[in-house]
Order: sequence, then structure tokens, then C-alpha cells
Amino acid sequence: MFKKFSSEEVSAQNQVKASVQRKIRQSIADEYPGLEPVLDDLLPKKSPLIVVKCQNHLNLVVVNNVPLFFNIRDGPYMPTLRLLHQYPNIMKKLQVDRGAIKFVLAGANIMCPGLTSPGGVLDDEVEAETPVAIMAEGKQHALAIGFTKISAKDIRKINKGIGVDNMHYLNDGLWKMEHLD
Amino acid sequence: MADKPQPVRLLYCAVCSLPAEYCEFGPDFEKCKPWLIKNAPEIYPNLLQEANEKEAEKVSERLQSVGISAGGADEAAQPSQPGETSSSKKEEVKRLPGGKIKKKEKLEVVIEKVVRNRRKCITVVKGLELFGIKLTDASKKLGKKFATGASVVKGPTEKDQIDVQGDIAYDVVEFITETWPEVIESSSSLVLLSYASMLHFLYSLVFSFIAQRTIKFGMTSV
Repeated sequence: MFKKFSSEEVSAQNQVKASVQRKIRQSIADEYPGLEPVLDDLLPKKSPLIVVKCQNHLNLVVVNNVPLFFNIRDGPYMPTLRLLHQYPNIMKKLQVDRGAIKFVLAGANIMCPGLTSPGGVLDDEVEAETPVAIMAEGKQHALAIGFTKISAKDIRKINKGIGVDNMHYLNDGLWKMEHLD
Repeated sequence: MADKPQPVRLLYCAVCSLPAEYCEFGPDFEKCKPWLIKNAPEIYPNLLQEANEKEAEKVSERLQSVGISAGGADEAAQPSQPGETSSSKKEEVKRLPGGKIKKKEKLEVVIEKVVRNRRKCITVVKGLELFGIKLTDASKKLGKKFATGASVVKGPTEKDQIDVQGDIAYDVVEFITETWPEVIESSSSLVLLSYASMLHFLYSLVFSFIAQRTIKFGMTSV
């Protein structure tokens, strides 16, 4: 999704009003309970919260020029990888095998066999349509953020085709956009 | 209250910006290597060895710059390859005319997004008439539903299509399948096309022949 993302795709930047800010904060806290204690540090109440609207119904939540979260349409907010690397345990994790890494880093969606093979790890609690962190065999850090299309049980059962949509991965457009101004 | 989890500080490669452990999958691992040896030798223990070996190799290469003639023998051993590729080409050519014949019977709705003026776009819906839907009625319904202009336009191949203002490619699928239940959504991964990626469009046409009665919808950003 962010394969060709650049600052040219930004169509509007707004400092949002307090009520919207509260709503965003609330939905992030609901989605990632592990993040709640540090949420005040991440999104300080005093510094302005900017929502950047981009093409294809994409929103970025930006604080101090650093993109922290993104969402599509009315979907859930997802952290950027840099943020996830700082707080790795906020999301459910799925692990792909080593062979899949280079495809995921090229932007491919995550196919079921890559998760069910010996190198992969599946968390059976993961439901369909939830944001997940994609880890890799033998690596400590997440390499992508995905949005599951089918539940983990179905991934195991069907074991074919796309299991998780790749939203954001290392070295894509959003990763390269360390600072936004 | 629980303790504040401390942010993990993590080493990013200065060359490719990836976390150091992913450098090997990065755009240019070779360029990262010197940085890695210096800053994160524990992640790639092999690198140091490799570097040492390389230097040794360089020296030995200088010593013996002959050994090239040995490589020629391998290339001579594969003359059968060109023959194989030409036969596979023939098959492709055969398939194409078959595909074109099928095209006429093909029942599918193609939804296409054409970008104009960078941020404005038109959604083109093709192939509704194949399902016996009156295009004028359909365009009216679409216009009403999405509150935009919608009109029946002559398409490039003498076929009528509906142009709808705005990017509704995402929602239009649901709308079509709901209002005209005879149109069945078969491919959930929908693809938006733009004229800039006409090539992709052609490809997707060719591939979509396989399935009948589909809404095809390609996503190729410009």
C-alpha cells in the first residue's frame, strides 16, 4: 500500500480539533491496550496532533512531524513500524518463514503457507480483519504490519492464498518518510 | 498502574535505514557490509570472516589472473535452451486467439479508475450490459447513489461504458452486487486500473478470461 508513497500524495494536513483528537486517542487505546501507559508520551495532550490526509482514503496521525499511526477509511489505526519497533508487544504477532522475507519486503501480501510452515508461527487467537505485526523466522523485529483477511484458524485450515494483507513493510514509502513536514 | 514499558532502542543501518538484522534483505547488502562490520558485528558473525577471506582472495587473484578459460566450457553445454523457449512462445500465441473468442461470451464487469488532474478521478464501469442491465438506468442509479455525475459513454472498443465521477471503485462493487444480484462478485481482490497502466489492464483482461462471471477490479497505482 505504501509501496510508492511519498509526500506528493499528501492532499491535506490539518491540526484536528480536540474532540477528534480524543476520538483518535480513544480508538488507539482500545485497539492497543499495551500502549495505554505510554500513550500520553506518544500523543502529548499539549502538542498539536496533525492528521494528514492522503490519497486513497489514507490518514496519517502525525505528532511533531513524525508519523505514528495510519488508517484507511474508517479502519483501525495501525502503528508505523518505527513505533512498533519501540513497543514490540502491543500487537498480536504472526511469524513468516525465512523464505518469505524477501517477498514481504518487496510488498507482497502474506500467503498462508508462509505462516503454517515450520518456520512460521500462528497465534490462533487472531481473528479476521485485525492488524497484526509480521515477524520473521530468526529475526527479532517486525518486518511488516499486516491486516488479516481470514482468521488464524482459517489460515491453518485453508492454507492457500493470501492470509494477511501487507499494509506497511520495511523500506516502503512510509518507512522512508521518517519526518514529515 | 503498570510500569511504563520503555521504548526499545534499536539499531538501524545507516546505509539502508533498515534494522541491522534485515540488511541482508535490503536493497544493497554489499554496501551495508562495511557499516555492519563496524557497528553490528554480532548480528552477522560470518561477515568478518568473509571480509578477511575476500582480502585473501584479492591477493590470490592478483597472483593468478589466468583461470578464465575454464568458465567457457559451461556456456557451451546449453544449446538446447533457445529451442524450448520458442516452443513455449508458440503456445502463448495459440492461447491468445482462443482468449479473444472467449472474450465475446465473457460475462464480467470491469471496474476501472482513471486518474485525471492528479487528485481527481473517474470510475469506469464496463460490461454491465452483458448482464442485460440497461446502461441508462444503471448510470442513473449510480449517479443517485454516489451523488455524482454518471453518464453512458462510448468506450474505446465501440462498447458503451458508464463513467462516474469520483473514486467509488471501492464501494461500487457492493452496490452493483446488491442492486443487480445476477452479477456475482467472484474476485474479492479488486484492482483499479488507470490508463497509464494500460499494459496491466491488458494482462488482467487476459487472465480474467479464466473465470466466468466475475467482477474484476485491478489495483495498480499509477
